[in-house]
Amino acid sequence: MKQKLYLCVHASEFPAQALLRLRTEFAAEPVAVLEGRAPVETVCSLNSGARLKGVALGMTRHEAESIPGLRLLARSIETEAAARSVFLECAAHFSPRIEAANQGTDCACILDISGTERLFGPPEALAERVRAAFRSAGFRVSIAVSANFHAARIKAAASRGITVIPDQQEAGSLARLPLALLGLQPEHAETFALWGIRTLGELAALEEIDLVTRLGPQAGAMHDLARGALPHAFQPIEADFALKEFCDFETPVDRSESLLFVGARMIDCLAARASARALSLASLDVHMKMEGGRAYQRAIRPALPTTDRKFLLKLLQLEIAAHPPLAAVHSLSLTGQAGQSSKVQLGLFAPQTPEPSRLDVTIARLKAIAGEDRVGSPVLEDSHRPGSFHMESFAVAGKTESRAAESAQAHPRMALRRMRPPVPIRVQLRALAPIAFRDRGHSFQITAAYGPWRTSGCWWSTDGWNAEEWDVLAENGNGSSVACLLVRNCARNEWRLEALYD
Amino acid sequence: MTDGDEYIELHAASAFSFLDAASQPETLIERAAEIEMPALALADRNGLYGAARFHTTAKKCGVKAHIGAEIAVSSFANRLTPTSWLPHQCPAEPPRLLLLCATQAGYQNLCQLITRFKMREAIKAEGAATLDDLEEFSAGLICLSGGEEGPLAAALAHEGNSGARKLADRLTAIYGRGNLYIELQRHQQREEECRNQSLLSLASSLNLPVIATNGVRYATEKDREILDVLTSIRYHTELDRAGRLLAFNSARSLRTASEMSAIFRDIPEAIANTRIVSRRLDFTLNHLGYEFPRYPVAYGETMDSFLAQRVEEGVSKRYGSPAKRNLLAKARTQVEHELKLIAKLGFAGYFLIVWDLIRYCQQQGILVQGRGSAANSAVCYALEITAVDPVGMELLFERFLSENRGEWPDIDLDLPSGDQREQVIQYVYERYGQLGAAMTANVISYRGRSAAREVGEALGFDEEQLARLSGLVGHWEWRGENDTMARHFEQAGFDARHPRIACYLDLCMRMQDLPRHLGQHSGGMVICAGMLNRVVPIERASMPGRTVIQWDKEDCADLGLIKVDLLGLGMMAVLKDSIELIPRHYKKEIDLAALPEDQHVYETLRKADTVGMFQVESRAQMASIPHNAPVRFYDLVVQVAIIRPGPIVGKMMHPYMRRRQGKEEVTYPHPSLEPVLKRTLGVPLFQEQLLRMAMTVASFTGAEAEELRRAVGMRRSMQRMRDLEGRLRDGMTRNGIGPEAQDNIVQGISSFAMYGFPESHAASFALIAYASAYLKVHFLAAFTCGLLNNQPMGFYSPAVLIKDAQRHGLHVRPICVQHSEWLCALEEEPDRALSLRIGLHYVKGLRQSSAEALLAARSRCMAFANVDDLALQVPELNRKELVALARVGALNSLGEVEHRRDALWQVEQAGRPVGPLLRGAADARAATPRRMPLKQMTTEERLSADYAGTGLTTGPHPMAYHRAALRKQGILSARELEGCAGNSFVRVAGCVIARQRPGTAKGFVFLSLEDETGIANVILTPDVFEQNRLIVTRSRFLEIEGRLQNQDGVIHVKAQCMTPLDISSADIRSHDFY
Repeated sequence: MKQKLYLCVHASEFPAQALLRLRTEFAAEPVAVLEGRAPVETVCSLNSGARLKGVALGMTRHEAESIPGLRLLARSIETEAAARSVFLECAAHFSPRIEAANQGTDCACILDISGTERLFGPPEALAERVRAAFRSAGFRVSIAVSANFHAARIKAAASRGITVIPDQQEAGSLARLPLALLGLQPEHAETFALWGIRTLGELAALEEIDLVTRLGPQAGAMHDLARGALPHAFQPIEADFALKEFCDFETPVDRSESLLFVGARMIDCLAARASARALSLASLDVHMKMEGGRAYQRAIRPALPTTDRKFLLKLLQLEIAAHPPLAAVHSLSLTGQAGQSSKVQLGLFAPQTPEPSRLDVTIARLKAIAGEDRVGSPVLEDSHRPGSFHMESFAVAGKTESRAAESAQAHPRMALRRMRPPVPIRVQLRALAPIAFRDRGHSFQITAAYGPWRTSGCWWSTDGWNAEEWDVLAENGNGSSVACLLVRNCARNEWRLEALYD
Repeated sequence: MTDGDEYIELHAASAFSFLDAASQPETLIERAAEIEMPALALADRNGLYGAARFHTTAKKCGVKAHIGAEIAVSSFANRLTPTSWLPHQCPAEPPRLLLLCATQAGYQNLCQLITRFKMREAIKAEGAATLDDLEEFSAGLICLSGGEEGPLAAALAHEGNSGARKLADRLTAIYGRGNLYIELQRHQQREEECRNQSLLSLASSLNLPVIATNGVRYATEKDREILDVLTSIRYHTELDRAGRLLAFNSARSLRTASEMSAIFRDIPEAIANTRIVSRRLDFTLNHLGYEFPRYPVAYGETMDSFLAQRVEEGVSKRYGSPAKRNLLAKARTQVEHELKLIAKLGFAGYFLIVWDLIRYCQQQGILVQGRGSAANSAVCYALEITAVDPVGMELLFERFLSENRGEWPDIDLDLPSGDQREQVIQYVYERYGQLGAAMTANVISYRGRSAAREVGEALGFDEEQLARLSGLVGHWEWRGENDTMARHFEQAGFDARHPRIACYLDLCMRMQDLPRHLGQHSGGMVICAGMLNRVVPIERASMPGRTVIQWDKEDCADLGLIKVDLLGLGMMAVLKDSIELIPRHYKKEIDLAALPEDQHVYETLRKADTVGMFQVESRAQMASIPHNAPVRFYDLVVQVAIIRPGPIVGKMMHPYMRRRQGKEEVTYPHPSLEPVLKRTLGVPLFQEQLLRMAMTVASFTGAEAEELRRAVGMRRSMQRMRDLEGRLRDGMTRNGIGPEAQDNIVQGISSFAMYGFPESHAASFALIAYASAYLKVHFLAAFTCGLLNNQPMGFYSPAVLIKDAQRHGLHVRPICVQHSEWLCALEEEPDRALSLRIGLHYVKGLRQSSAEALLAARSRCMAFANVDDLALQVPELNRKELVALARVGALNSLGEVEHRRDALWQVEQAGRPVGPLLRGAADARAATPRRMPLKQMTTEERLSADYAGTGLTTGPHPMAYHRAALRKQGILSARELEGCAGNSFVRVAGCVIARQRPGTAKGFVFLSLEDETGIANVILTPDVFEQNRLIVTRSRFLEIEGRLQNQDGVIHVKAQCMTPLDISSADIRSHDFY
């Protein structure tokens, strides 16, 4: 049987690397990446320039800002995900068998390079080529080659540059490395610390049977790991399942036609790949990198999974029309989520409903015209704010029986016709109560006023409200009368006609 | 205001409705006075928690305080919640009726009602009354139907008009027609108005009167914000997610009469009825009906005669010894005077009850000593309540009891903390019944950190942010000009200008001092003749077997409730342990009441060699005691009292010390004060002196002096102090005392506002201090053993106490499974010297039950052969516990164990039997000679393991291992500093054992550095501290360079620069005060 050989590519400080590979102009500067929610953000990754400046992981934004010349960037999970796929793509040029070995914020993958000698030369030469390829893709990586999967992984994580571990020399090569690289459970880490075992070599020097009798069967694996002798069942990533297409534009694109041209080809590929596995596309995530570092992200979710290229392209076109990118686009990626092909069994006597794909297109069109948050089902919010609601997408519910309807039947209520938008009015007051108002040239005398009904809230944010409502009966000059709801915004002292009572 | 406008708010809840309302009772009253409301009723949820403060403030402000409560009733349908189809989060709760006390009987019924349902719960809980409870305790109460939280609102919503009618009929039957009012509230909500219309028609059909209230939850509209935050806290959610749990608007403030009259313009009778009900509410807390229990005496005796006999017996015993016989006549005269006054004031029962407690303690062998002003009384001394001889020390009896005062005497008893104190508390319950005695409450209020954390949670900060934010608050006691919250935030990496942070800061400030929940006082017990539950509601405390009243000790004092403080004092437990150990190991008997005046002890005190001694061990005490140079007991009394914020802020400490050393002439603020201040060299140090000063210079009466004393002794006294200051100055002016002397006198008195110390109290403490010093000097092993077995207590950690004892020649032996007991114990060395064996309870992670199993097994088998034998004999020890023991070297004495790592290696196998698969291999290996693959621990590793596993080490001090290297660098040890000339430049290094930034030191920071030779004291100026803040607060070992100051043997290094030292990674904890 042919000798197995593994090559591990390890990129540390990946959040910083992922951002900097797209912004080469910052590469020479000290850069720290912040994560967390304002007002407390902390440094999660940094480059060597920042480390030299004294930046440390966990520093707050305020502390980091006090270091002169330091550039602060916000962490972008999307960028990292895209960078990871580039990372894997890069690795895939050298071997079809790749296994991911990410740890924490580091990105790593291990290539099965058994039998590649004829293609790429000896392991050292291959490692150099791999490193060069990654460097050109914008990654600074360390590489280790070993006949043992884990030895390559651990060595790459612990060292810089390229290391080729000669066959049977794994234990010696790993001996000086710290025990923390094994990623032990806290309980075992504490035991080894008490035993004074600090390096892999010290662990390897213990008798395996001594370890197993003390720490249980998993100690055997730890021991083998420390000696670089732990066998590994390679679990290659099957890249096809990613259903992701990514295009990095050489120059920023600002015309939607150009985007859609590329997008159409991407959809073709995605649909073809999905169809080949008897799958459909349940959703398409559209991700764009725009000038200024901003990200553009939308999701297209057809009602049922589909591989209809034209239909998906139409949805993409409508989505981009409804939400055009606010700046020129650096990169576009489409990520498909696989779903089972749509098959709807219609009942013989069920009423005919619109074809799901057409309904989707219609709703998408409506959203493009009216706005994303104005199409769907209104849902009441848990708030005292008058008239507060939000829209949720239409969803197929099990039963449409509404408790609201029941309630309405049990307690009939007066209907309120909301003015959208509310009409600004001028109000005449007496003893703080309204006695007359003018609406677009029409004057109304108030014959009865009930109120004020007061409501206020959200005082802790800029979104607060403080309003006074009056239910009034009013007459205009020609004798017709209306029952309406007048609202005063107390903060601005502005009156509006908010609704009419039917 | 016309009579028609006059409106009385009869439904106001204070922040004592815990998390359900947002203003202090005092604030509500002040607001009522501001809007000229003649009366106000307080009705907190299920309690009278705020009633005492409400009443006291109302008296001052001239507002009539009506007392009532909102009572949850579980028999009714749950209170109103939003309609089911609305998104809502309101959890189900019983509705609440408003009950107001019309008469004293009504008040007693309300107290009993609350006690009934609170005590029905098995643990501390909110509880709810039943209809049967309401029926039983209905007399003298006026019932209002409640607003949206009330049962009528719930009944209308759930069952409609018929249900509401049925409920109203039931309430009418319980409270009687004329005592039930249908309550109407108008908070500008449509649904509420709809309900009001139904209630109006209901009232009209049943011919019930209606009444307007505003269901007040806060004093002013702005305070609604606080209520919203409290609501979020109550429901464990964030403001952003609280939705409909929050207030609808800001209408539930205390509104003016004209506002309410305008709102209820259409129902004028609802306003008029508030005046009628207010007039009917006769009861105020002035007529509480409290009575202290009588002591049972034989037929033909009175309590006074019985007391006189007991006192006479005591006088003969106390003053019968030859040493005190000269005081006998004086003592008899004094007790006669005291007994006369006690008889006149009717306090004999109180003394007898305390005497009964003392007798119980004596019978049970429980060490007990009275403290506080009781030590001024010869009667207390004769009854063995106190141990200070007031006749010999010429203490002022009037400080304890005076005819004019109109207040019960206050006796505090110090007991050994722990089980014995609990035993005495349970005795009181047993003697006076579950409803005759209870602990006083301790109101837990929002203070710096708690406010910071809970407000942060409400504003949606995550856990990490919260830890950082709340960590900023209250850190370091002193607050200078630059020590603002905003600056702290900046230093911790936050932007104080961010709107959310600004809002957070504002809310934190406004939340300060609002009550959070009710705890129990550490030892105050109220005892009552008859039923205490008719005087104040009683509820369950969180501790099993304890009950607590709804008022704190200041409320009790304000309302004349008598309490006995049964306080746990760690040092009492140490003394008790020591006097048990001494006869056993030293073959000597010791009588704490008759310790000799020992110059060796005073010499030790003068050298400030006081680590572990009661009250005189702190850094500040050590720095001052050589100046004071005590040579007799009274010097120790002064020493105990002088290192207090009172004398320090009042700038009395330094003048006293200078005078004591003869460096300053003894003068008096005014010639008339010489008799008062002579004993303390013209410097006022004690409360008694302040009283006498006020009486002398300002012609204060006894009652006024008493008021002054109460004001200086209480936390909530700033306003009272200001009022009294005016009167004091007027009096002094009348007596011809100049402005400068007035300023001195007033400053002296004001300084005691925080922590004034009575002379008698200082004397009681000094007795314990002397006893601790005596035991430490003569019986070091027993005393140290007692100290280590009663931790945590005192100023120093066990690690420091052990190092100090070792420096004094005590041999301390490490923890060992073959020898250690659960607690530390004394052992006899071959040379008959005593050594101290550290107990197993210092092993972190070792359960007491496992240790007891180990001790039982050891007593069976005499000794464990090896690790396997230990694991076999004590199966209760789990692997983690075996590892914990091995780590700290407790298994080193077992056979086949060479060192700690060897033990660690063995226990991993001993705690884990070999499986069948490997058994053969293991057996084969067992036959071969044992190989130890692990290296022995290095010194550093042993130190780290000691501190991590026990928090202390019995081996050399970490600094000792580096002494040679340090010496080469010119770094001195603590002892070597003693030989250095003053003002010389020195370098010293050590382990930081204490960091202090006292409020009285204007930003100066004091560090204590320990090395193997002793403790070096370091002073940091505010500037040096600011420059080295991180180093000072985070480093475990420090090297300090600076000038040495030597003032009469008190040595300090005034730091100029400092460097963290990499001596050891051991987890040595510093005791930081902030």
